[in-house]
Amino acid sequence: MAEFALPKNSKVTVGKKWPMPAKVKGDKGTRDYLVYRFDPDTGENPRMDTYTVDLDDCGPMVLDALIWIKNKVDPSLTFRRSCREGVCGSCAMNVDGGNTLACTKDMKDISATVKVYPLPHQPVVKDLVPDLTNFYAQHASIQPWLKTTSPTPEKEWQQSHEERQKLDGLYECILCACCSTACPSYWWNSDRFLGPAVLLQAYRWIIDSRDEATGERLDNLEDPFRLYRCHTIMNCANTCPKHLNPAKAIAEIKKKMVERQV
Amino acid sequence: MGAPNHNMRTPLARVRGLGSARSGTEHFWRQRMTAVANVPLTIAGIVIVIALLGRNHAAAAQILGSPLIAIIMLLFIFSVATHMRIGMQVVIEDYVHEEKMKFALVMLNTFYAIAIGLASAFAILKLSFGV
Amino acid sequence: MATNGGNGAPNYNGRAYPIEDHTYDVIVVGAGGSGLRAVVGCSEAGLKTACITKVFPTRSHTVAAQGGISASLGNMGEDDWRWHMYDTVKGADWLGDQDSIEYLCRNAPAAVYELEHWGVPFSRLENGKIYQRPFGGMTTHYGKGTAQRTAAAADRTGHAILHTLYGAALKHQAEFFIEYFALDLIMDDEGRCRGVIALKLDDGTLHRFRGHTTILATGGYGRAYFSCTSAHTCTGDGGAMALRAGLPLQDMEFVQFHPTGIYGSGCLITEGSRGEGGYLTNSEGERFMERYAPSAKDLASRDVVSRAMTIEIREGRGVGAKKDHIFLHLDHLDPKVLAERLPGISESARIFAGVDVTREPIPVIPTVHYNMGGIATNYHGEALTKRDGNDDSIIPGLMALGEAGCVSVHGANRLGSNSLIDLVVFGRAAGLRCAETIKPNERQPDLPKDSADKALSRLDHLRHANGGTPTAVLRARMQDVMQTNCAVFRTGEVLEEGSKKIHEVVAGLPDIKVTDRSLIWNTDLIETLEFDNLIAQAVVTMDSAVNRKESRGAHAREDFPDRDDKNWMTHSLAWLDPKSFKVTLDSRPVHTYTMTNDIAYIEPKARVY
Repeated sequence: MAEFALPKNSKVTVGKKWPMPAKVKGDKGTRDYLVYRFDPDTGENPRMDTYTVDLDDCGPMVLDALIWIKNKVDPSLTFRRSCREGVCGSCAMNVDGGNTLACTKDMKDISATVKVYPLPHQPVVKDLVPDLTNFYAQHASIQPWLKTTSPTPEKEWQQSHEERQKLDGLYECILCACCSTACPSYWWNSDRFLGPAVLLQAYRWIIDSRDEATGERLDNLEDPFRLYRCHTIMNCANTCPKHLNPAKAIAEIKKKMVERQV
Repeated sequence: MGAPNHNMRTPLARVRGLGSARSGTEHFWRQRMTAVANVPLTIAGIVIVIALLGRNHAAAAQILGSPLIAIIMLLFIFSVATHMRIGMQVVIEDYVHEEKMKFALVMLNTFYAIAIGLASAFAILKLSFGV
Repeated sequence: MATNGGNGAPNYNGRAYPIEDHTYDVIVVGAGGSGLRAVVGCSEAGLKTACITKVFPTRSHTVAAQGGISASLGNMGEDDWRWHMYDTVKGADWLGDQDSIEYLCRNAPAAVYELEHWGVPFSRLENGKIYQRPFGGMTTHYGKGTAQRTAAAADRTGHAILHTLYGAALKHQAEFFIEYFALDLIMDDEGRCRGVIALKLDDGTLHRFRGHTTILATGGYGRAYFSCTSAHTCTGDGGAMALRAGLPLQDMEFVQFHPTGIYGSGCLITEGSRGEGGYLTNSEGERFMERYAPSAKDLASRDVVSRAMTIEIREGRGVGAKKDHIFLHLDHLDPKVLAERLPGISESARIFAGVDVTREPIPVIPTVHYNMGGIATNYHGEALTKRDGNDDSIIPGLMALGEAGCVSVHGANRLGSNSLIDLVVFGRAAGLRCAETIKPNERQPDLPKDSADKALSRLDHLRHANGGTPTAVLRARMQDVMQTNCAVFRTGEVLEEGSKKIHEVVAGLPDIKVTDRSLIWNTDLIETLEFDNLIAQAVVTMDSAVNRKESRGAHAREDFPDRDDKNWMTHSLAWLDPKSFKVTLDSRPVHTYTMTNDIAYIEPKARVY
């Protein structure tokens, strides 16, 4: 059966409460953070540590707070981050119950204690760092490159303005994995279901007017698990930090599947 | 991490797995078609059942055995049984990951749908042909 | 696990670090635009190529490039690579090597078409061709008209290119080593680079990569500053590895400030926003760029605009409560144009400045953006140094690309949209060069026995550093010094003070404290290694800036306000002693010749926009 409960060694325990450094002058107050910690060296069960963040000494975003904690309180807190402006997709995590990018999630939009977990249902390497190897391999499996066999032109392949517009809402995906790890179908079948992010990427190449391998791409997706595990639950579209709609892309792929048969 | 990893295939090998089944669209399409068919057929089915309320056996048998009603009921049975079978199979595939168990349940589900469908259809036909 | 030196798992302070060995024809460090392009080129040529990267390729900072990629495609009207070359030379304030610039501009269109063929979703014109927008400093007819030369995918061009290049690398079955942090170069006694040592983040194992050629494509070191548009991961790891290997860095005093970083967060607002018609205003609502650059106005080159903004703020015409920033107006543009061509920055402005660009101006401030300096190379990407009387002495086995390198096409100031084209043109060039010079699977001599020693003792030392100052504190001190003492405008006095202060930060290094002792995903350790890389380049930057007594491009000295071609038409070279952090300076001549006879050397003249 699918595993519905957390395995024993993943049960989350109550962690440490870290003292706050001397408050910086100001009137913004403080905010409590409850952060998931897992130390692979001890192998002990994960725990939730509590930190108090000084808002007068810290930027507005959740990532700012995590960096503040790392710099001022606990240098061992581990998470990925890079661009801090929502384009690289490194700092995807579960904040306040939803998957999002910590760098674009404003603390103002969270009412009380900020709870931070790694992306759900992925193996955790350490603290907020999940192992996304499977996700990346799935992305590679859909062959995310332009396939053409016609003689390549000296200049660009022609593409009309309208044809190019069909890529809007697709090419912007940053592969942060927020959507896939929010999808219950992906939770239960991530070994065989490609998940919303990868299917959105697949559709980005299927619908590219320049691509000459549409049928081959559809062939590779036509599978009860790879594609048809999507049950239009819509968590993907609700959680996408870039406001894309993977569910719609998947529906479009299904439409194409029917179209070529009926 | 944590638990020992006995699967040492590369991630890409695991993802590619046994390759694409090149099927599923048939199921998907049939599920949508039966869903559409089920709307009028279920309404008709309910109306028919309501019409049977309070009638004696002979009257009920006569109504159900009349050609138009019987055909509607047969369609209703066929469509619902098909829909039920596919739906249930999806649920099994979603949640049951142990291969043997999954095969057994998918098979059982198919048998069940056929048995239920056939039994119901037989009942209607029996009334229709009055054997 | 095999060990190449035959000395088993090396032992440091009683702690064993097992090493795994790999042999490749080419090793590329970094998976941004230039690294991936080189990986594709080398793989295509049949060379066994490894790509080592500390972040998953699509997280590299190329992803954040917005405005576009310059190439004289001529899709919007007449264009010529010679005009592009002229603009680049002028933008560089004549410090660029014109043979390299010719190589760049000539090969630019082919490189863009190649990207398109690989799938980059460029914005399109009605006629099906790639859309190109105006950008700062880009002109036609040698400065007479405004060129529309910058090919764009809305305002997410870098993202589109990086994802496509990653796909192309997958297509060519490139071998990626993802989330491996490169520690140090392996150099042999003859001064040849033989490979690189890297730390695998997720299990703490060490990996020794041996290769005929090592290509450093590790990006810039923007994080040496407090406020920058660069990602947290832009820590110039390759530049610091070169310094530790005893190699010089070139033109490090030239640090570009992008005129429009969002006030507060420092997030980038593309120059393309001004290309599409946006303009800057001061507290009096005046479009002040008309005074500073009468013909190019808001589309003057970046150093010019950043200085103008700084002067406006200094003279009390800044906006906001503290009068310390400037407004960028897009509110007069058609919302449809904003939605189609500038959707990304519209969202950034909303998230990071709380501004609706269709109705309000964006608060902006010049923000550190790009390092023109780096490892000196020729236009094949081969790393250069000055030795034995040779100004262009090739360091065998080492190449550098992109922001980590200094070809030098950007000279003293890079033009917007010239960085993306730099990545792909020279990434491609490096691949071609490797194909020319390396025979696939050619036997490689054994590595020196002590090949891992330096890297491991440094790693072990920092991993167990138990002083009194956390890395974050030292880093903040460094960033503060750089921000204050090595900014848009510089004077001898301020730079001297900066040099003193940055060496004070260096003096604090022995007291550094690392808390996390783990080898699994130890970001405390990685940030410390990165800080160690940053501080080396901060020192070199500051001391190179003290040394250059003229104003050129991004290096604006108030005590030497003019360009001095007589004494300073030279590339600065800086070596760093890794122990004392003492900087040794020298120079090498700028290439005052072109690559072919198709264009003559462009003589220096006054630089007005």
